[in-house]
Amino acid sequence: MNSVHFTSPMGQPAVVITQVAETQWHAVEDDRVVGRGDASRRPDGRIFLSIDAWHGAVFDQLADAMLADLPKPLYTVVDEADLDLTCDWERAGFTIRRREWEYLVPTDPRATGLGSALPPSGVTIVAVGEADESPLRELHRVIRDEVEATVGWREMPAEVLPRPGGATLLDPSKYTVAAQSDEYVGLVRVVPVRQPRIGLIAVRSGRHRRGIARALLAHVLGSLHHRGIDAAWAEVNESNGAATALFEGIGARRASSNLELVLR
Amino acid sequence: MARTTDGIEVEGTVIECLRNATFKVELQNGHKVLAHISGKIRKNYIKILPYDRVLVELSPYDLTRGRILYRYRT
Repeated sequence: MNSVHFTSPMGQPAVVITQVAETQWHAVEDDRVVGRGDASRRPDGRIFLSIDAWHGAVFDQLADAMLADLPKPLYTVVDEADLDLTCDWERAGFTIRRREWEYLVPTDPRATGLGSALPPSGVTIVAVGEADESPLRELHRVIRDEVEATVGWREMPAEVLPRPGGATLLDPSKYTVAAQSDEYVGLVRVVPVRQPRIGLIAVRSGRHRRGIARALLAHVLGSLHHRGIDAAWAEVNESNGAATALFEGIGARRASSNLELVLR
Repeated sequence: MARTTDGIEVEGTVIECLRNATFKVELQNGHKVLAHISGKIRKNYIKILPYDRVLVELSPYDLTRGRILYRYRT
């Protein structure tokens, strides 16, 4: 257990930074934990940090201790509206790598304009939970490889990063699928929490620009609307022009944004 | 209310999402605090919404401020 002592102004107790586990640090003042740092490795190998501290000075002390021990590059995620936290990380040397918009997506066909969005000729929509698992996993593998060969998964929202062993398809029952000529060509995953999240929408590269993604969204959003759910969430990387156009074209509005910061 | 060396942790309900990445949380005792989300919640992209039941750690320096440590499943 490594400890670093920091002096404090006259009359105030000193802060001691201690590495309490391989990936955890505590800031202790007067026998009380006043800050915590955590490092976790994502499935893609990148190390993401978080620091919770009640004061900027304690944040800086935790950051100094963590950055001295961890290999770079290091990453973190902040809500862009949290200016104080963003400044804390920038003070530690982190810079903005990318921005991810959080969209609030209406489900009402009158708002989305998707009421008449039928799949293209020869394409059928397989309702959520009804897709065969084996071809669904094969489609998932193909799409994963296509993404990795182009923009790369690191440019995708963190929610869809590949898991160890190359799997991201954890629960086939959450997927709605577009099928054509006995093969699956597109998918959308909706996580059915209180405000559903569109975790992933993708169409095979050879089937783009045919309206398949719109048809998938029309199906899942229409189903949510029938269940009385008026909105869903989706995260979109700022540089993903096709996804931005798709969601903004159906009336989705930007509700907030996250910044991914990096220290190289 | 449990007092530990890790801080004062209290259950509450989110009553409002404010613009600057903070949340107004009503604690079980009826007090209202302004809370940020913890780094682990942020790293895991856990979304906090009004009416979510949450575990809040209160600041030892200002009991009107807190940090959301955990969102309970509803």
